[in-house]
Amino acid sequence: MARIKRFPPAQRVFHLLLMLSFLTQAATGLARLYIETNWGRSLASLFGGYNKTLTIHWWVGLFMLVLLGIHVLYVLIRIDWRRFPKSVYGPDSLLPRKEDLGQALQHVGWLLGIRQLPRFDRWGYWEKFDYLAVFWGITLLGITGVILYNPVFFSNYMPGWVLNVLLWVHRIEAVLAIVHVSTIHFFIGHLRRHNFPMDLAMFEGSVDLEKARHERPAWVERMEQEGNLHTSLVSRAPFPLRVVYYVYGFAIIICFFYLTVNAIANVGELLG
Amino acid sequence: MNKQVLKANQLSDYYNLCITYQRRNQYFRKGPLWLVCAIYLTVAILLIAILFPDLSRAQTEATSKSYRYSERELASRSYERYEVKPRTYPVFVRGGIPQREAVTLSPTAERIRRRKYLADSHWGLKFYDRLACTKCHPQQARNLHYIRAKITCRQCHGPEPIAGLSHYYSKMSSRRRHAFVCAKCHEGANRSFASYVNHEPNPAALSTRQSFPLLFYVFWMMAAIAVGTFAAFLPHAFMWGLREFLPDSFLSRLKNRFAGGRKQDGQD
Repeated sequence: MARIKRFPPAQRVFHLLLMLSFLTQAATGLARLYIETNWGRSLASLFGGYNKTLTIHWWVGLFMLVLLGIHVLYVLIRIDWRRFPKSVYGPDSLLPRKEDLGQALQHVGWLLGIRQLPRFDRWGYWEKFDYLAVFWGITLLGITGVILYNPVFFSNYMPGWVLNVLLWVHRIEAVLAIVHVSTIHFFIGHLRRHNFPMDLAMFEGSVDLEKARHERPAWVERMEQEGNLHTSLVSRAPFPLRVVYYVYGFAIIICFFYLTVNAIANVGELLG
Repeated sequence: MNKQVLKANQLSDYYNLCITYQRRNQYFRKGPLWLVCAIYLTVAILLIAILFPDLSRAQTEATSKSYRYSERELASRSYERYEVKPRTYPVFVRGGIPQREAVTLSPTAERIRRRKYLADSHWGLKFYDRLACTKCHPQQARNLHYIRAKITCRQCHGPEPIAGLSHYYSKMSSRRRHAFVCAKCHEGANRSFASYVNHEPNPAALSTRQSFPLLFYVFWMMAAIAVGTFAAFLPHAFMWGLREFLPDSFLSRLKNRFAGGRKQDGQD
């Protein structure tokens, strides 16, 4: 069972911290949004009430912004500056390429049973979308959140009625992120037959070579041609660690499902 | 003789000296200097207080409208003439409407609009003292200050009489709302901050396109992004799950069956 390296430890730590902080933000934010409902009040009481929930939301939000800043620095360090323009547009980069659109269409064709499965490289189009959506989401939520935290100061630089608009932007973007993660991201990462019950790649940092040869043939072939496949081979994570990964991953999933299901169930009470 | 003269001279000197001391003593017997000064000062202050009552410094701000406004309006940097002086029409109860707003709408709309300029905007309403604000303004209760912060209407709009928004001296007037209303809780609130729309219209409603266009368009843009993302990726994820769940032979059999069906149709 040879395994191939996919995520270095730094990226796994980023994902781990992002999971925890995003879950906290989702819980505190939904508690504030649903404070008029019984569920919202009980959720807020976990964090010490309506006002303390905001304090936690603010500090964890700041932490996420710092995390984004560190990640940008990390990306700048990791870019191969000697082959600059090529390395950014290459197959190892997470930036969208021309091929991605074609692959997405071909993939939809495969889902309908009329086309062959596209030969994905290191990153599929849905993974690039997920990654860049987090970038866009944290930036948007962070900027609006910081402005909403001190509206008196920031209204020196913009009309006060923009605050109304920013609050709605913050809400809709946050709900989009929460529902997207707890439905689409979890479905693709866990419920697909290929990954069931859980894709450990982001925790272990490696994927099964045979599975990768099947799902991402272009990536494995490219590494074989470049002759560095054998340097990327790693062994499986020890069993206790895998148990920890499973428990941690499923705990997060259960928390997100709890939030999403209750949020949807309480929409009527919120609007009514 | 000489002795007598001398004595007489000495006596007169002595007397002079005595009288001097006596006068001085009389003078001093009235009391020490600081006490005399204090008494004179008190009398002077009492006289001034009786004769010139307006010199009381504490009253200056309250008695002079122009002084108070110029001080408060420092934050908004607005020194327009009508800030200080009332316009030509009477300000109390029966208000006037500026010429540019004098187009008559429906009688009801006209009446409501006229009330915006009254010093007591609820003047003449029947049984007004028995009504709660939300009885007539139920929509206005749907705002974050009322629902979340539990702030009552009175805490911002003040006690009776509640002046119309466009009345000169209304503290809810957009020119001084930041100082008189917002800054009570939001320390340092400026005029821009006061333009936050507390009684926010429903962003999804079509009428908001007129009253708050940016909110309307941004709300629907964000909603479109969210709905678009789910419309694209939810069926995609579902089909992906289904496609991987079903064996490849299932699709090929399905294809053969349909192809076979068409062939039979052609043969017939």
